[in-house]
Amino acid sequence: MSTRLLLLLYLTGHVFAQKSPDVDCLVVNLEYISCTWNKTGTPEVNYTFYSKLGNDQWKICNHYLTENNMNIGCNQPGDRFKTFKTRLIYGNNNFEKSHELKKQVKLNPPTNLTVLNGSDFNLWFYWNYTSPAPLHCVESEVRFRTNNNNWDFSKVSAGIQKYCINLPSSSSRYELQVRNRVDDTCGESIFWSDWSEPVVWASNNSTYSDDSMSPWTPVMYVVGAITLILLAMILLHHERLRIILVPVVPKPSPFLHNIEDWFQFSKGLKDNFKPNYNERACPVREYNYVSQSDVVSSDGSTCSVTTDQTDCSIEQDPEDLSAPIPSNPVSSEEVQKASV
Amino acid sequence: MKLIVFCLFTVYCCSLVKASPLERKKLQEVLRELKMLKRDLPNTELMMNTPPKDIEDCCCLTALTCFRETLLEHFGISGKYQKKLYKSLNHTLTINGLNFCNTETSTNNCSTCHSHPKEKASEFFNRLESLVQRGISRI
Repeated sequence: MSTRLLLLLYLTGHVFAQKSPDVDCLVVNLEYISCTWNKTGTPEVNYTFYSKLGNDQWKICNHYLTENNMNIGCNQPGDRFKTFKTRLIYGNNNFEKSHELKKQVKLNPPTNLTVLNGSDFNLWFYWNYTSPAPLHCVESEVRFRTNNNNWDFSKVSAGIQKYCINLPSSSSRYELQVRNRVDDTCGESIFWSDWSEPVVWASNNSTYSDDSMSPWTPVMYVVGAITLILLAMILLHHERLRIILVPVVPKPSPFLHNIEDWFQFSKGLKDNFKPNYNERACPVREYNYVSQSDVVSSDGSTCSVTTDQTDCSIEQDPEDLSAPIPSNPVSSEEVQKASV
Repeated sequence: MKLIVFCLFTVYCCSLVKASPLERKKLQEVLRELKMLKRDLPNTELMMNTPPKDIEDCCCLTALTCFRETLLEHFGISGKYQKKLYKSLNHTLTINGLNFCNTETSTNNCSTCHSHPKEKASEFFNRLESLVQRGISRI
């Protein structure tokens, strides 16, 4: 009894252990449909493959793909706009699956990629397609790099089979690759093709350099360092130059100090600003009161408009400045007429 | 007489040469209008008679008529994009561009519009889009 139970369990386990094969189909270059079922490894048994396109009848596979003498795939003609059904049969096992192939397209990479140096001094790249799709259904993408730096990517609209690099440098090396896929207006494919074979352009006289350091770079560094040291020495020894190049910012203090002390001038420079002479201030006063007889005189030469200008060259007693004021005050206009 | 026939034949051949780009441009226009309409309409659970995914070559024009009339029935032509799309689907260039029937096969075998099962609006638009893309990829 236990033996039968064990045997039953063993057979049941064996049946359930056999995984259902997962079929993946891809439209290759819009020429045929390629289905494979070895994603999880080579199958243990040889399946028979059937396919059905749209409302057609089921058809057996004529061209199997094999691996280790086991069937792992099948290529057959088809139309990506129609429903595609597949069936894998082994014994009583029947695994059926439906596929939507409109976007499951992978084109072959572009071919004959060539480069020309145009008469406009631009670099022109040209390529061809091998798929039967119309040109307006195929869009491209290019990637190029200069001197083995990072790749730059650029999309090329459907129907265009060329790309231009403007005014290339004669000392640089350019490398470009192209890939393509079906355009959105024709049912955009989710897969890009593989990159084409690269094409390289470099000018004959170019000796392009990679990112490695130029031999002149350390020389420039040393010269720069020496220049800096010399400049520092010049600044230290020439005070005037230093003040001009690096002016001192005055630091205001809360305490009232002589403003001259804000500037760190040398003693000699300070002394130069000190005056070495004495000048006495001359007090000047103007009186507006004059006698009538002096105003009326004809020649006006004896104008005796009193303007008390103390002669600065004669020492005067400050008390003399308070002289008595004349009795007849006149207006300033009369004073002006008299002074002519 | 021979000269007239020759001239007419030349004009006919020239019209054929020029027609393909015009038809393709028209179908591309239909695709743009369809995308605008899909974006404009909210996610609707409306169910509509939808031609099948696998349309025979000689039934494509029948399917186009079904798409157009169903669109008119459910969405009308009051909206900006609805009106544009309806007019484009009725255009001669669109009809010529989706005419894949090269044989004298009768189109009587094509299913009528109301016999098609109802599908969601999103599926309706996807199938119409596929039909137009099929036409563009053939031109």
